[in-house]
Amino acid sequence: METSTQPQSDLAGLLEKLAHLLPEQGPLQTFVHHNTLHALEHLPFAEAVVEASRRFGTEPFQTEAAFGKHLESGRILPTDIDAVLAVEPEGRSAGESILGGLTVRHFRANRLRHLFEVPRGAALGWHIAESEMLERRHPMVDASRRRMLTSQADRYHAALPVGQRVPRLLREAWESLVSSAREFAVVRAPRSVRRRDQLVALGARDVDQRVQPLLIRLTASFLDQGVAAWTMPEREMGLLVAVRNLYTGSVPRSEPLLRAMRLEFRRQLEAGESAEETIEAALDALGIKRDEHESYLGATLLALPGWAGMVRQFELRPDRAPVEALPARLMDFLALQLTLDGVAAGLELERFRGPGATWADLEQALDSLGTDDHGPSLELAYEAFVMAQVAPVDLAVFSRPEVVHRWLEETLACSELERRRLLHEAYERRLRVTFLDGFAAHCRRGAVVAPKPRFQALFCIDERECSTRRHLEEGHPEVETFGYAGFYGVAMAWQAIGEHRPRPLCPVNLTPEHFVTERALSSSESVAWDDLRRRRGLAVHALTEGSRSLAAGGLLTAAMGPLSVVPMIGRCLFPRLTERLSHRWVQGGAVPPKTRLVLEREGHERDSEGRYRGYSVPEMVDVVEQVLETIGLVRDLCELVVVVGHGSSSLNNPHEAAHDCGATGGGRGGPNARAFAAMANHSGVRVGLRERGLAIPDSTWFLGAYHNTCDDETVYYDLDLLPEAHLASAEEFRTALGEACQLEAHERCRRFESAPRNGDIAAAMRHVQGRSVDLGQPRPEYGHATNAYAVVGRRSRTRGLFMDRRAFLCSYDPTTDPSGAILGGLLAAVGPVGAGINLEYYFSFVDPVGYGCGTKLPHNITGLIGVMDGHASDLRTGLPWQMVEIHEPVRLLMVVEALPATLEGLLDPESPVGRLVVNRWVQLVAWDPDSERLWEYGGNGFTEYAEESLVLPEVDSSAEFYRNERGHLPCARITGAELGSESQTAQLEEAR
Amino acid sequence: MSDQILAGLVASAVALPLLGFVMFALPAWFGARFGERFVAGSVGLLFTCSSLASGLAFLALVFSGRSAIEVPLGEWFSVGSYGFHWTLIGDRLSLPFAWFAAMLVGLMAAFSRRYLHREAGFFRFYLMLVLFGTGVELVVLAGSLDLVFVGWELVGITSALLIAFFHERPKPVEHGLRAFITYRLCDVGLLSAVVWLHHAVGHTDFVSGQPWLQLAVPSEGHHAVWVGFLLLFASMGKSAQVPLGGWLPRAMEGPTPSSAIFYGAIAIHLGPYLLLRAGSILDQFPAVAWTTFAIGSLTALHGSIVGRVQTDIKSSLAYGSMTQVGLIVAEIGLGLRVVPLVHIIGHAAIRSLEILRSPSLLHDHHYLEEAVGTRTVRTPRHSEGVIPRGLRSWLYRYALERGYQDGFLREVVVGSFLRFAAVLGVIDSALTGWIGGRDAVEEERPR
Repeated sequence: METSTQPQSDLAGLLEKLAHLLPEQGPLQTFVHHNTLHALEHLPFAEAVVEASRRFGTEPFQTEAAFGKHLESGRILPTDIDAVLAVEPEGRSAGESILGGLTVRHFRANRLRHLFEVPRGAALGWHIAESEMLERRHPMVDASRRRMLTSQADRYHAALPVGQRVPRLLREAWESLVSSAREFAVVRAPRSVRRRDQLVALGARDVDQRVQPLLIRLTASFLDQGVAAWTMPEREMGLLVAVRNLYTGSVPRSEPLLRAMRLEFRRQLEAGESAEETIEAALDALGIKRDEHESYLGATLLALPGWAGMVRQFELRPDRAPVEALPARLMDFLALQLTLDGVAAGLELERFRGPGATWADLEQALDSLGTDDHGPSLELAYEAFVMAQVAPVDLAVFSRPEVVHRWLEETLACSELERRRLLHEAYERRLRVTFLDGFAAHCRRGAVVAPKPRFQALFCIDERECSTRRHLEEGHPEVETFGYAGFYGVAMAWQAIGEHRPRPLCPVNLTPEHFVTERALSSSESVAWDDLRRRRGLAVHALTEGSRSLAAGGLLTAAMGPLSVVPMIGRCLFPRLTERLSHRWVQGGAVPPKTRLVLEREGHERDSEGRYRGYSVPEMVDVVEQVLETIGLVRDLCELVVVVGHGSSSLNNPHEAAHDCGATGGGRGGPNARAFAAMANHSGVRVGLRERGLAIPDSTWFLGAYHNTCDDETVYYDLDLLPEAHLASAEEFRTALGEACQLEAHERCRRFESAPRNGDIAAAMRHVQGRSVDLGQPRPEYGHATNAYAVVGRRSRTRGLFMDRRAFLCSYDPTTDPSGAILGGLLAAVGPVGAGINLEYYFSFVDPVGYGCGTKLPHNITGLIGVMDGHASDLRTGLPWQMVEIHEPVRLLMVVEALPATLEGLLDPESPVGRLVVNRWVQLVAWDPDSERLWEYGGNGFTEYAEESLVLPEVDSSAEFYRNERGHLPCARITGAELGSESQTAQLEEAR
Repeated sequence: MSDQILAGLVASAVALPLLGFVMFALPAWFGARFGERFVAGSVGLLFTCSSLASGLAFLALVFSGRSAIEVPLGEWFSVGSYGFHWTLIGDRLSLPFAWFAAMLVGLMAAFSRRYLHREAGFFRFYLMLVLFGTGVELVVLAGSLDLVFVGWELVGITSALLIAFFHERPKPVEHGLRAFITYRLCDVGLLSAVVWLHHAVGHTDFVSGQPWLQLAVPSEGHHAVWVGFLLLFASMGKSAQVPLGGWLPRAMEGPTPSSAIFYGAIAIHLGPYLLLRAGSILDQFPAVAWTTFAIGSLTALHGSIVGRVQTDIKSSLAYGSMTQVGLIVAEIGLGLRVVPLVHIIGHAAIRSLEILRSPSLLHDHHYLEEAVGTRTVRTPRHSEGVIPRGLRSWLYRYALERGYQDGFLREVVVGSFLRFAAVLGVIDSALTGWIGGRDAVEEERPR
């Protein structure tokens, strides 16, 4: 046995390493936004995306064609290209002259301005032979350059008739480029290690076509959380054991693969192999050398990354299984996959190369495949040829071999990937400059004048609340708003009254230590409610399950089926009304019981999960103190402080949870807001806070609320506890927030192509509510799409600045934090969350198929854990195209109100947030607490930002600025926020 | 109501969808583009009108007590006393069916406007939907088997094209092709039946019978039995009967509304429709009826067993459909006539709504868990519990491998056909060699 332990532990370590390449998305019921390339965060962004592209075959940036369109539309300006090239750190001097006065930087600037298509392979051959590329100047050559070329041709080929001069000039340059291009070594893609790929390369059948459907249905049956009525027998023993036992039974003759598998499984059972031993044996059978194991296993795992990743997630986080935790092991999955691969590839090898063929024969056959290929060098010559025409150089010098060589070298160095990287920088720069200019101009004009606040409201930092807050302040200047991560410091496991299992409501990197639940005030009310819901629930369940069965289904469909024409018509034609009616039916007139949080705990005992049941008073004091101190709400508290959590609900949307609050780990943040308010209202907590020097006036009341970002409805918690003195002001605030949410719906509608362009506010509200309950609506809301900025600082300084719902707004008061200690904690919490959301959108946008999960339309929910594309595909991870289609793929621009020196002290490259900043996964900007000065973080620390434009539009109201606009908008100063609410009230009135 | 008005109603039920197709396809051929709203709106409107027309005609039929409304469309050709006529027929079978099918297509048109909004293939989807609708109305209202065949083909091709809607990925195309091959194979049955009937009876019109018009039965028994079997074969492909049903779960590749209408609601029920029209043969020849019953019940059993282990919602619903369609076919085999029609309409309505709702599974499951309050809600496993352990594992494997039908079709049916073709090839080249010498064989061999 000693001999076998060594490779086994090697294998475990290897798998541990390879598993990082798999997608980290857990079951879809909770959706946690994270950096898709989290595993590569130790690399600089630009390197990581290219590395990932090499490994996964994905796109690192937008396509060159997309950038071409951005150049055309003015989204990228020529100045951006120059600015990006100016700061490019070059290995060799960027100012070095290539020929004449043309420097490397000039060359690149020219190349980036001229994005032309390079025909590949046979297309290029056709182009050379059939098109007039050697007679006529390239269409991208502009008028002045055309004249220049003509005069060159006249000068050098004066002896020729006029019509032949330019063609001669071109042809000579082309010929010398072609002959020199042969010297450039052609980089051939390394041979794929997988036997399946090698067989396919030789023209055999695709083994994956047979293996993958089988592997998918086995894995899906193993992981199923409740779609299938029959579960896989013996799945509690693990995937490999269950499958081995299942597939050693009889199989008809018509299934050669299953029969061969059966023999192999029998062998494994007789040998009593562990998964590790099976992997070793399978690799041996496939003839893989030991030094190739890592690459082979990596390639194998990446053949079905979605399913492998899901097995991994079940293994790592059994607590996140939606219904039933299972003994899943990636090792088992890999052993099964390799067994199937081995058997199927073996069969195919024999079929293809005759009985007795070996893997060595196959490798030989591969080696003898033709390798002479001049295509790539010809493509290089073509690219250099077009560049020679568009760049301001004298074509005659291309007769000198050393010039030609240098020209080709530069052309090769400015490869497609390199161009896309630079264009991406330019694309980001334009947005950054536009935003920072507006931002600085707003700061220069000073804070908007607001009356003394009468209400304070805490919102999540989520960029969807950015506009809610703006509308609230605009319409009701006496409201002061703050931003804090939507779990409000209450990192708890929450279980609502109907639920039978707690779920964590806190950022993913925390494990909740406190378990909080609620109890009904009146038990009879609650029993009646439960009873009714239970009966209705079971009835619905019986109907859906029954219709799929044989006998019951027959009776049901024949007898009751015709009735479902009614809901069918309703769902198709009147989604909002139908949902309301069906909701009423389900509720059956019963009202949900009034509840109280079970929040306070006396003892210190932990439950079986290691959690406390609730919070002790000192712990509550900690929570409240930390939140209030961070956001700087330590003095001048108003009588009413409202804490607003958020979430989103939508029908027919497997990715529903992806619209929920990221700070609660993809949950709905209402309970957190409610718990925070309850803590802050607790008399013991108030005493504790006072002892620590944070005095909350007795007249102050905290109220918890919940904002549904999909239908823009709000709910308030524990209104029955509200002291009488606060009734009127609470009512006033509810009206104010209600109006703000209506305007919020109105502003959101401008992004929906199918929403009326200039609809009134009531119509907008109906529209967004319809979206949230419509079975036919794949875009219930746009979620975090378009997110681009994060502002950490005092809201009073950004108040009145229109940021187009694109900014995470995090309150922080540098004047109360001289040491930067609070800021450090804040950035550590906010940075990864914001960057995770932002980067997930980035990747799902730049490669909707490779990183995202493609279009939603054919999605098929599997096992209650994820979606497949149609029938039996890999499990699809990432975001669907319908969620990201309006996004701009840029890295998060984080503006922090602190001096560069303070920030530099906080950027520990070992910490998650430090790593993100140093490796440029986010763009960091320091913002002077006392002026509008800004400093950008770059490779060599901070440099002061120089504004490009000092213009900032001023408008009366947000609505005035976004009216008639569907696209992204720049910053603007909303002066209505200063003057008061007239414009907005007028609008609301008009709408009614 | 006068005959002409009634005939006009029945004709417009087919003509309106056809008009829609021509209205979009012709300009599109010349490069015209249409707005989403206009396309969806007009398709919805046309099918609503078509549905109203059949509905009205049906009411008139019931209240006037007639058995059928005949709409002569003209004559293709006539030779002596023989004439080849095209007719539409509205009776108690076709009118409810036509009403319901047009209504569903209209609803899907409304639904898909939101669902396919901004999708690159939006127009293509609607074009296929209209063509499909035209095909269905034609199949249903056809007065003879000849006309049924025309509609039948339209349904087949649009179905395959919509499965392959996302043609940038290989799987949808492959699965579309698979459905198409199955359809074409079974079309052989329909076409042969048509030819056979022309030979034995002289026409393929639906003539008389209770409760609706049915095929004329050839006077000679063996002709009738063969026609019956051919029609049964023809219906097996479209309605995914054992052992040809493997394409059905694979067909869930297109956008959800097309899956709902094709495989939950309409296309899959056209098989039973054909059998209902052939009721006269089933009634007179028990061999055909019992075979129908056997295939239907086997399919129902197979679908219900296999459906139990499906872990993705669309496959689960596909097998649910297969089970019910099997039951419907079995009912027809038992000699029932009105019950299957009601069953078809009920099943179509329930299933298509379920497929439309399938992306809500997580949402619904969460609600259910909350309402019912147990940790997990599972179907009671009574049928699983009574099966002995060894058999259970066999049965589970059988279900997971979908009854090994794909392997059977691939290795046994297609495999033997290919082997047979290979033998023919050998004989052929031997003969060629014998007749034309060695050179002829060499020349013929593809390089």
